[in-house]
Amino acid sequence: MNLTLYKRGIQGSWKMLLIFAAVISMYFTVIVSMFDPALGSALNEFAKAMPELMAIVGMNPASAELISFLEAYLYGFIMLVFPMLFCILSANKLIARHIDRGSMTYLLAAPVKRVTVAFTQMKVMVTGLFTLVIFATLLGIVNCEISFPGQLDIGKFILLNIGAFCLQLFIGSICFLSSCIFNDVKYAVGIGAGIPALGFIIQMIANAGKELETAKYFTFFTLFDSDGIIAGDPFAFWGIAALFAGALALFTAAIVVFVKKDLHI
Amino acid sequence: MSVCAIHNLTRNYGKERGVFNLSFSINRGEVFGFLGPNGAGKTTTIRHLMGFLKPEEGYCTIGGKDCWKDRAVIQKSLGYIPGEMVFFDDMTGTDFLTFMAKYRKVKSDRRTKELLDRFELDPRSKLKKMSKGMKQKVGIVAAFMHDPEVLILDEPTSGLDPLMQSRFVELILEEKAKGKTILMSSHMFEEVERTCTRVAIIKKGRLVAMDAVETLKAAQAKKFVITLESEEATAAFAQEGLRIIDISQNRVTVIVQNNIKELIAVMNRFPVTNIATPNQSLEEIFMQYYGGGIVG
Repeated sequence: MNLTLYKRGIQGSWKMLLIFAAVISMYFTVIVSMFDPALGSALNEFAKAMPELMAIVGMNPASAELISFLEAYLYGFIMLVFPMLFCILSANKLIARHIDRGSMTYLLAAPVKRVTVAFTQMKVMVTGLFTLVIFATLLGIVNCEISFPGQLDIGKFILLNIGAFCLQLFIGSICFLSSCIFNDVKYAVGIGAGIPALGFIIQMIANAGKELETAKYFTFFTLFDSDGIIAGDPFAFWGIAALFAGALALFTAAIVVFVKKDLHI
Repeated sequence: MSVCAIHNLTRNYGKERGVFNLSFSINRGEVFGFLGPNGAGKTTTIRHLMGFLKPEEGYCTIGGKDCWKDRAVIQKSLGYIPGEMVFFDDMTGTDFLTFMAKYRKVKSDRRTKELLDRFELDPRSKLKKMSKGMKQKVGIVAAFMHDPEVLILDEPTSGLDPLMQSRFVELILEEKAKGKTILMSSHMFEEVERTCTRVAIIKKGRLVAMDAVETLKAAQAKKFVITLESEEATAAFAQEGLRIIDISQNRVTVIVQNNIKELIAVMNRFPVTNIATPNQSLEEIFMQYYGGGIVG
């Protein structure tokens, strides 16, 4: 890793990170405040009134516990979509844009190996993602402890976040690979954002109804089984492990592609 | 001893674009002019030397190391001015130069300061807001800051005013005296004439000429446009056995090569009203030297 490049990358992404953190904070605060253990929240009323619509975006809690509530209302949509957006923007900015514009020239006209450049840029993205998930985890715990002390199963909540992190890592690796393959920002973003977006849409279709449920076998989002994680289902943990392994494989592929490719810069 | 060598380098982009079976080598302490019209394959060749592109066939070496496989090692003592200056967003010139120094692990900033003084550059403004000339100066400083042994310069003076161009020529001559090896692509005759020991010219990806600058200068054909009083006189002038390449109304274009006295003698006998020496591009001069063989 090249520390100078890493610092530069962090400097270049903290503003974006701050915006995402602010959006996540807002959702966490609002959603946690809507929880009402005694009466069932207004959101649960929504879920009863429009079960299909709420199910599409994953908002159908399995139980009345606080952790299920957070899982349903935050980890079915908010914590999937926003970190995913961060991955798409970040991956594009770190590799493809430098190649497309030509500023990659200066990173490679120096005694720094291409593998180091790609690895450092990958680390910048993963650092951002990690910070975002850690932030969400702490935010969730603090919010719950203030409003509903002792009611959140913190251990399971952390596991849920580890799962979410591995899912996002996998998404990030798709975006990063795409950023390394395509020299044109248009294609790098198109494919890098297109695959995760398509996966997410398929998951929404699978959530929509019984007859469409088989669609879940066609999207990697199924590997992040948030209900299963909370229920302690071992398959859910295999899913997390698979996402993590997949991310490692795709990041490695991305670096290899970057090292071997012809650069017209 | 050759420091930089290209062996049968080929990269075919189709439609006669790319480089084809290109070979040449540059010796230590030599400033090598690399010339050719736009789209001839100069930048493609340079990209191979920089390790950005993998040769389809052939190979290039710098300091005996392979430009593709050992690119990171080669870069330690290589300085590069790209043909197009594109920096990172939202950096000032100072930020960029500091970043490059740290990124390259350059310890001392003595050389950077000296270069900034030499080119009268204040790098504190945003790169985005800099003029083309200022950006070019930032690029020059970045290429020389680590005192490299080998320099690859792709049109290094584009955008510089004449004063700065001449400062750049001085810098190149100093580096040459220190024994640095330099490959320079350029369109400026004066720059090449003053700095280069040898030049190569490529066209459509193929090497068409390579020679010492002294040889070329000695053999240089000079062009004169002579205006006469009348068209009759012009027609008669054209019959005098000089090498005429163009006649239009009462103007003739004469090529002179080691026979300036003959031209003067002829001009004395005719009603000449004006003599002009049009600016000749480097390529034009080489085309004349090598005759019709490379024109087309």
